[in-house]
Amino acid sequence: MDFFELTTEPLDITSVARRVVPPECGATVTLDGYARRFTKDRETGEVRETLHLVYEAYEPMAIKEMEKLVKAAHEQFEITNVGIVHRLGKLEIGETSIVISVAAPHRKDAFAACEWLIRELKRTVPIWKKEVYADGEQWVEGELVTQMS
Amino acid sequence: MPARVLFFGATADITGHREIEISVSDDLTAEAALKEIVRNLPGLGSHKLLISINQQYAAQDEIIRDGDELAIFTAVSGG
Repeated sequence: MDFFELTTEPLDITSVARRVVPPECGATVTLDGYARRFTKDRETGEVRETLHLVYEAYEPMAIKEMEKLVKAAHEQFEITNVGIVHRLGKLEIGETSIVISVAAPHRKDAFAACEWLIRELKRTVPIWKKEVYADGEQWVEGELVTQMS
Repeated sequence: MPARVLFFGATADITGHREIEISVSDDLTAEAALKEIVRNLPGLGSHKLLISINQQYAAQDEIIRDGDELAIFTAVSGG
């Protein structure tokens, strides 16, 4: 069974991964995305140290967009189950912000689908990350889906 | 009935609002509504913005109806 969820609780990677395992599958690929301490500014190249992160979501739309992604992944890849859980609220450095687990009969499809899912999620699912530094904070702006203004 | 406009992350911080209401005139498009909102909340003008209608990304020429739920936000950065 597929699932896509948002939570403010710490994520347990293994429990997400084990929920997607059906008997016809031979491999599960799991992405453990976590809060990074050092971030290079894309424009200036300056490296900043992040103290913690805050994630916020437009929750009902985020769930709908995740559902669309999982549906599209099933159309493109030979995969059996997908689980996506994204954490919201304040995260300390090193804490897991996202888990994506993809189970497939064969590992190649599971790897490809997991990579595709995280790439698309970062582009389309309405969740925002705020990086908090010693001397300030900023909401990170990603790549635009379509630009309107 | 007016339309609700929600803000998240950067747009909530910039505007100081989580939610506002706008009146909906005939044939108000997503693009026109966004321009009008930016005119009233000028801090938004320096950002590249996205708009959704009823929890779906909106096309520029999509028509807004009474009671719709809009949201205005910067490019997403989850993951």
